[in-house]
Amino acid sequence: MGFRSFIHRLTAPRINITPVFGSVKLVCIVNQSLKMGKGKIAAQVGHASVESFLRTGSTHPHLLDAWLASGQKKICLKAKDEDVFETLITQAKRDNIPFHLIRDAGHTQIPSGSKTVLALGPYGEEELDSITGELKLL
Amino acid sequence: MSSMDDAPSMALIVRADLSLSAGKTAVQCAHAAVQCALQAHRHHARLMERWRKSGARKICLVADDLSSLHRLASEAQQANLSYHLVQDAGHTEVPAGTITVLGIGPGPRRSLDLITEDLSTL
Repeated sequence: MGFRSFIHRLTAPRINITPVFGSVKLVCIVNQSLKMGKGKIAAQVGHASVESFLRTGSTHPHLLDAWLASGQKKICLKAKDEDVFETLITQAKRDNIPFHLIRDAGHTQIPSGSKTVLALGPYGEEELDSITGELKLL
Repeated sequence: MSSMDDAPSMALIVRADLSLSAGKTAVQCAHAAVQCALQAHRHHARLMERWRKSGARKICLVADDLSSLHRLASEAQQANLSYHLVQDAGHTEVPAGTITVLGIGPGPRRSLDLITEDLSTL
């Protein structure tokens, strides 16, 4: 779906479609090796969430609807370094899970281009848990 | 640098009195960012695009308590900026219904700075 039709869909009157999926959530994974401050992490997670939900809106619109309607479940996990991101991205591509990786512009705290946060979903909770199950909560 | 200074921005203002953990703070800020972005999508599509193209600038700030958030929200409303107050579902850390974060924007950076100039960064 193109960007215009996505905007149209968001503003158009809703047709009542019951989502058939189980719980839908968005997972953000923070690169712990960068030692970012609390505010920096919050802003980066915000970046990742916004881009990732927009992506889901164009690839899996029914999942976005289900996520928005069910309270926008989000969780934050931690990864020890950016190698973990590579593995997760490979798995996300294989399973067709929408994702977005944030590379920082480097205005503050860390070098430009650092991979700070990976967002996966919004997508089915079970599928996400199967690839992120080993990561700890932030 | 001057084009960067005019780029639209978003402010995410966290309540200091709740002492939320880093993970909880991040998630609550993300809620606010997503909701503000959705509102912009629906009502200010061009502003939303400009904001994203210029790097989707976000800043995390701290306010003392709930009454500060309400005051800032009403100032945002007066300045014609869209905003969203995040109410937690209460699964962890805080009771259900607690207002945790105020998101303002995306909007012109100067108008945001006027409202948030007294706040410190998170």
